[in-house]
Amino acid sequence: MHGKDIRLEAVGITYPNGFRAVEPTDLEIRAGEFFSILGPSGCGKTTILRTISGFVEPSEGRVLIGGEDMAGRAPDQRPTALIFQNLALFPLMSVRDNVAFGLEARGVSKRERRARAQELLELVALGDQAEKKPTELSGGQRQRVAIARALAVEPAVLLLDEPLSALDLKLRQHMRAELRAIQKKTGVTFLYITHDQSEALAMSDRIAVMNKGKIEQVGSCDEVYSDPLTAFAASFVGEVNMIPGTIKSVIPDMALVESALGTFTARNPRGLKVGDATYLFVRPEAMRLDPLPNDNRLAVSFDRRDLEGAFVTLHMKASDGTPMAAQLPNDGQRRDPASLTELGFSPEAAIALPEGPLARTGREEMAAQ
Amino acid sequence: MKSDRILSLYTWAFLAFMFAPLLLMIVASFNNISPPSVTDWHGFTTKWYSFFWMDQSQIAADPVLRTLDRGRFIGCFGNSLVVAAAVVPLSLLLGLAGAIMLTRWSSKANGILWWVLLSPILAPGVVLGLSALVFWARLGVGAGLFTIVMAQVTFIAGYPMLVLMARLQRQPIELEEAARDLGASPLRSFLRITLPFLAPALFSAAVVAFLASMENYNTTMFAKGGSCTFATEIGAMARNPNGHPPVINAVGTAIILITVAAALAHALMKRREEKRK
Repeated sequence: MHGKDIRLEAVGITYPNGFRAVEPTDLEIRAGEFFSILGPSGCGKTTILRTISGFVEPSEGRVLIGGEDMAGRAPDQRPTALIFQNLALFPLMSVRDNVAFGLEARGVSKRERRARAQELLELVALGDQAEKKPTELSGGQRQRVAIARALAVEPAVLLLDEPLSALDLKLRQHMRAELRAIQKKTGVTFLYITHDQSEALAMSDRIAVMNKGKIEQVGSCDEVYSDPLTAFAASFVGEVNMIPGTIKSVIPDMALVESALGTFTARNPRGLKVGDATYLFVRPEAMRLDPLPNDNRLAVSFDRRDLEGAFVTLHMKASDGTPMAAQLPNDGQRRDPASLTELGFSPEAAIALPEGPLARTGREEMAAQ
Repeated sequence: MKSDRILSLYTWAFLAFMFAPLLLMIVASFNNISPPSVTDWHGFTTKWYSFFWMDQSQIAADPVLRTLDRGRFIGCFGNSLVVAAAVVPLSLLLGLAGAIMLTRWSSKANGILWWVLLSPILAPGVVLGLSALVFWARLGVGAGLFTIVMAQVTFIAGYPMLVLMARLQRQPIELEEAARDLGASPLRSFLRITLPFLAPALFSAAVVAFLASMENYNTTMFAKGGSCTFATEIGAMARNPNGHPPVINAVGTAIILITVAAALAHALMKRREEKRK
């Protein structure tokens, strides 16, 4: 199997009811890479996936796979295979017939497709389950049948639409590793769609962060996590502390940010100018309880302590009530957090980005649902 | 408390009005008297059930039966089977097409289409029969079994459509999409994924269509011209000047039995399918 690259050229998608699902987007996914599109529900990521697989025609722009324009090619004529969110295993067929279905559609002889299906079932460690019906399998096993079925047609591109969301945490973590291993072994280009940032960070070579039909940032996992380019990317990928303010002065690559909580030095990757409104972002793990001499300093009062096993998260409030979090390795020492009055963070760990829409917090997400 | 009693009284009255005539008919079908009676019990018999293969001499001895034309009755019954044999596949085909269009084709016109396709069920049967008669006469086709088939299909096709729609709405659309994505043509996806899923519903729809065709009276009456069917012939026999032939009670009882058996079989099939899940 050989992966092919995917190119979107100014692809925009408007649904018949007038809803603009995807703004004109350029995106390049390299052959053989594990690429994730990460975004909240309704951001247009599934629409992009369905456009690449051929179920949705782009309203404008072109989709190219391996350099070939896909315009006018139905889903059955594209070198893609899609793994659906609900897996869509055929309930009336055995596991083997499910896996062999794509080969049957291609006119492969019965003997050959049985042998091929068996090979793929061995690949996903289900060689002894071929006779069963999908409903007789566990969630993780069904997952692997769906993967085997998609790989059976030797796609150049495997598209995955949040296929792990129905599994429980342990299984999900296990399947991440398994998906990654299968991708490495087969060399197929994987395009993975998810709203779960830890899933995307754990598996991908590169990530695109998407919001409201627009791709906000494309980059490696480390880039997106450590050097976010927009307020949305910073707040959606991982936990983050945010302080609104304005730029007071600028020195090369760095800026001085004035806010209600004090004045802070931070990186200025987007080249903000004096007077610009800004959001200052600091990751919880960059917060220090014992500030170093050059650190920014922030007065806080203790709120509560959450033990998360290897980590401890301390929740605090700044002087104006803004919630602040600090994540520390659990070193076994149980110092009295109530005595905490000050946090510090290095200027390099703080990043000043243009003011813009933020990802919804967990509380807002709950209220919306 | 009081409203409870009124409600239960109403329920019992409702059931009585619905089932009492059927019960009387069943009782009368076993009463050894002709013309039939319920109040006047003349002993238990099953001879009305053997009308179709009864000895000619026995028929001649009965004051009502001897006026009946058994050969014609059997012929009409055969006509009904012929009509149903055409109506069932035709209405399944039309109903299936309609059901797929309404469930798989998202169009703004779907709401209107639903009404258009189902309106023949609501339209008076007389109108359907008459319009079929007039329409085909214009085309030079005389009234007969063909016009009966055409008239019946117009409204019977709606029943399979409803049954199949209910089933299609339960099948996730992703199954068909997955088949297409794996390289199946639209036809193969339909034959391998949708049709097997529909099989039990197709069977129920066929039974419903068959029963609807067999028992239809009003539409058939207008479209039949000089021909006859099982239902129209029973209607004619019931108007027999020599009295209501007891055979009708036996036939009616048999129809009830078949309908109940079909309903039970359907319920049983459904239960088995649910158990398998």
